[in-house]
Amino acid sequence: MKKAIRVEKEDNVAVVAQETLKGDRLDCSGLEIAAGADIPLGHKIALVQIDEGSTVVKFGVPIGRAKLPISTGDHVHVHNVADITEELCNDYEKKFRSAGA
Amino acid sequence: MREIQAYLRPDGQVGIRNLVLVLSMVSCSNTVVSRIAQKTGAIPITHEQGCVEFEEDHRRTKLALLAAGRNPNVYGVLLVGLGCEQTSMADVKQAIADAGKPVEGILIQEEGGSPGAEARGVEIVRRLQEEAGKQQRVPCGAGGLVVGVQCGGSDWTTAVAGNTVIGAMADHVTRNGGSVLMSEVMGFPGSEHIVAANAVSREVGLQVLDMVSDLRAEYVELYGQTIEEVNPTPGNKAGGITTLVEKSMGNVRKMGNSPVQGVLQLGDPIPRPGLWVVDNRAQGPDPFNVTGFAIQGANVTVFSSGRGSPVGCAVMPVIKITGNPVTFRNLESITDFNAGVVVEGKPIPETGEALYELLLEVAGGKPTKSELNGNVEFTIPREPARKKPRDGCSQGGV
Repeated sequence: MKKAIRVEKEDNVAVVAQETLKGDRLDCSGLEIAAGADIPLGHKIALVQIDEGSTVVKFGVPIGRAKLPISTGDHVHVHNVADITEELCNDYEKKFRSAGA
Repeated sequence: MREIQAYLRPDGQVGIRNLVLVLSMVSCSNTVVSRIAQKTGAIPITHEQGCVEFEEDHRRTKLALLAAGRNPNVYGVLLVGLGCEQTSMADVKQAIADAGKPVEGILIQEEGGSPGAEARGVEIVRRLQEEAGKQQRVPCGAGGLVVGVQCGGSDWTTAVAGNTVIGAMADHVTRNGGSVLMSEVMGFPGSEHIVAANAVSREVGLQVLDMVSDLRAEYVELYGQTIEEVNPTPGNKAGGITTLVEKSMGNVRKMGNSPVQGVLQLGDPIPRPGLWVVDNRAQGPDPFNVTGFAIQGANVTVFSSGRGSPVGCAVMPVIKITGNPVTFRNLESITDFNAGVVVEGKPIPETGEALYELLLEVAGGKPTKSELNGNVEFTIPREPARKKPRDGCSQGGV
């Protein structure tokens, strides 16, 4: 069976370990998922449904925000995920610095 | 606590190799250094600096040379100079002698030229090698290990397999009382909130955030764009990286989950064991970063490369791992460990444990591919001159 790697247990995406075609069944570190789209090698597959506005979690941390509803098995990338790096870093830094002020 | 068989140095540091070095003071003496090394099998360090350098550049050259000699894997050193160079042989010699090591120096202008210097150098090195041969490995705690972690030549497996496995190994290193050094700080912006949250104290969290704020400002000043504007790059996106946090996390995964003890500037002593960030901003080929670890006194580096890399280091073994099983099959001649088993379904924790076991074997004397292939790179990391001095923890009062 084709494979995808879920790095941390709390991740809601996994990285596909080979070129994947729509309909392929994948073993995602123990979770069996059917690909809902063609997914290139090294790209991400959704392990659960991710609602619009909720966070995409990889490496156990939020890496972006769903800008569309994402279904289980979907290709997760720039077309459906917003980059919220600045927001995450700035919010943290502001809170951290003001906490000790 | 795990144990290794290693060399206990006079200054209390633990060496896992017992090297005799021939160190060039200035590029004018490089050829004599190479010839002495060829005739004796000693490790040569040559470079393109040592004269007519600006103050800050020269400080870095001197630091790199004396730190190479002081590295715990080194038994003794022969310095070879020309005689009129900027590098003060007396200063370098003193710094190495202060670590309790045998060190001698010769000058080409005082040895009747290159042939005389070569003959004299060979004689001295053979004597040092004979003394080195009498050193015995003794049982030492694995806590004496200072391990650099690095990646280079990345592909889609580097973040999920190679670096993640290194992170799992790093946790074993610190759990056993050792130290882990992480550098590649130009890749920190985007995950500084994660690294800072892992800091041992509020003060260290601030050190991390201050360093990254400074880096971000440096990008804008040098390139006129923020790091977010140019990252992830089109190539990153084609490879599946969606956001900057995701890209940056792939880098810092190598650190593992131990608390960050502080941010060190190159040349700062490591105040206590644990996980440390080394603020080396040299932008260039991978040996810049490995050499930074050697300067900090690392006795070994673990290096992941999805595409494969032969890079080694003059003063330490470099354990090469790949997260890509195809790369491992094709490049086993330069790769020590196959973390590609992770993309074939093997769990990360047990792969990290296996890598830690390999690390202990290498510490005990098992040669790495970098050593077998004679990779003895030593590339002095060059950084643009700083307009203002930075606070490291030796100045910052950790």
